[in-house]
Amino acid sequence: MADLLKELEAEITGVRATTARQNVGTIREIGDGVARVEGLTDAMLNEMLDLGHGITGLALNLEETEVGVIILGDYTELEEGDEVRTTGKLLQVPVGMGLLGRVVNTLGQPVDGKGPVESDVAYPVEKLAPGVIRRRSVSQPVQTGIMAIDAMIPIGRGQRELIIGDRSTGKTTICIDTIISQARLNRAAKAAGDQDYRPLYSIYVAIGQKQSSIARTISVLEEAGALPYTIIVASPAADSATSQYLAPFAGAAMGEWFMDNGMDALIIFDDLSKHAVAYRQVSLVLKRPSGREAYPGDVFYLHSRLLERAARVGEKYGNGSLTGLPIIETQAGDVSAYIPTNVISITDGQIYLETDLFNQGVRPAVNVGLSVSRVGGSAQIKAMRQVAGSLKLELAQYRELQAFAQFGSDLDKATQAQLNRGQRLVELLKQNQFSPLPFSKQILIIMAGTGGFLDDMPVAQVREFEAELFKYVDSTNPGILRAIMEKKILDDQLKGQLQGIIKEAKQQFVAAREAVAK
Amino acid sequence: MKTGKQIRREAKELFRMCLVDGVLDETRVRQVVERILASRPRGYLPLLKCFQRWVKLEYARHTAEVESAVPLPFDLAARVREGVEKAYGPGMTTEFVANPELIGGMRIQVGSDVYDGTIRSGLAELARIWGVSSRNGGNAQA
Repeated sequence: MADLLKELEAEITGVRATTARQNVGTIREIGDGVARVEGLTDAMLNEMLDLGHGITGLALNLEETEVGVIILGDYTELEEGDEVRTTGKLLQVPVGMGLLGRVVNTLGQPVDGKGPVESDVAYPVEKLAPGVIRRRSVSQPVQTGIMAIDAMIPIGRGQRELIIGDRSTGKTTICIDTIISQARLNRAAKAAGDQDYRPLYSIYVAIGQKQSSIARTISVLEEAGALPYTIIVASPAADSATSQYLAPFAGAAMGEWFMDNGMDALIIFDDLSKHAVAYRQVSLVLKRPSGREAYPGDVFYLHSRLLERAARVGEKYGNGSLTGLPIIETQAGDVSAYIPTNVISITDGQIYLETDLFNQGVRPAVNVGLSVSRVGGSAQIKAMRQVAGSLKLELAQYRELQAFAQFGSDLDKATQAQLNRGQRLVELLKQNQFSPLPFSKQILIIMAGTGGFLDDMPVAQVREFEAELFKYVDSTNPGILRAIMEKKILDDQLKGQLQGIIKEAKQQFVAAREAVAK
Repeated sequence: MKTGKQIRREAKELFRMCLVDGVLDETRVRQVVERILASRPRGYLPLLKCFQRWVKLEYARHTAEVESAVPLPFDLAARVREGVEKAYGPGMTTEFVANPELIGGMRIQVGSDVYDGTIRSGLAELARIWGVSSRNGGNAQA
């Protein structure tokens, strides 16, 4: 009781005893999630406004006699004539480790029914990106677990790599695989007590998606044990355009907390095409002038200021990083459209997924020729660079010769051999969804492909052999995979050992097939 | 056809013409309205509405609305008037309104600026701190 009395006294004392000046306005017009408020002469851009009934808004349009406000909440409770007050604050979201494993909305409020989010720190949703001096070059890899990407389009911590393609080409799957792969590594390092390993936490921002898709993603992450290392910011299609517009910035704020505290985080924006559409809607309702394809004139700045917040900062500033994987959905493979070209020019590379490849059964449907990572080999361990260099070259040669494939019987031996090798390498790079591979196994199988061990094997058996090879090495010599990751380079001894394992596994595989055939 | 933007621009221009040394001249305002009604140009009704809004905002900027729970005594009202003129300059109009819902204290609004020292606002602030909905009189949250 005494504590309660003290608390009450403190609260009453805390209430403003003196009369301070406040700035107010009156709602003149409201509709479509936007209110036009007369007055509010002191309102600042992006300032949070109190609209009453527990609803807040953001001042986005500052005009001579009124302010255009986007409403964060249920605007049906508001009426013309309601009083609006300035708060002097920017919009903030809760950040911190307490958000891991949770599904939250744009304002950081939990929507997963698991109780309140534990957080005592809040970060502003809109924040300036780290400056040039604060940054450090990208040199640590992000293991997506997808061979085609880790070998030929490597992503580094602090990089922005765009994932672009038509609908249903596997863009989200690549991102989910990355989250699962990183979660496995985090768990393995924690179990092994590896103090040197830097865990990578993931933030998945779902913008304008179907709620069933978001639910399915959550379920996949939960089954794979990746949810404890992931924050999900959900702004589904049923949310207002305002909420969808702010969701990526809220996610970026959560990621920046990890970066500022010396940790590494990965943020996925799924997808920025819908984000641009939501921003277009908000801008049109605010009566801002429209430009190309009815997008507002600052749609480039919308994405550039968002993506620039993904960076790797120097040791003096915490040595943290935020890696960005924005997703863009194209229409009919048109990468020269407005929003795709904008985001391509902002990011540090793109992974281009093609519908044709997907339909041919090449999954992930990565067009290696058109995809690029501007960070490149700096983000790869040396061992991977050693095997991946020849892989990329051989695939490039294969693509050049593919047109002649229909004349297979009329080609010289060298060309035929190149085509055969290319077909097996393409088959090798196929991977099931939600089945990321660690670097060590990727190096092993790529070495099998580029070393010619698969040249005499039917293409249809390549993936079967791959599975058998992994089983073989796991059962007979798991230490060699650890050795690859510890040494991070393939010296002659290690190469010899790996080649020996591949030969033995192949002998066993061929013998088993022959026995079955008899 | 005149667009909304053009009408807003014209209304603003007409309003500016009614300012003499930064102060709104009521005679000019009346003249503008009479001329528009006499000539009835295309879009004259939205033009008049916009013009009215500008005049209303200007009037609100130079008017102090003083609300109190009970009518203020003469000397207190004079002090308030003096204080408003000191803060916002001469030429301010001060209107006094009695509003028992304020319970006690005084609320002064000049344009967008509000100085609220009423008991009602203090109670609302306490309700906000304790998470009580003052409108519905809901229970305090644990």
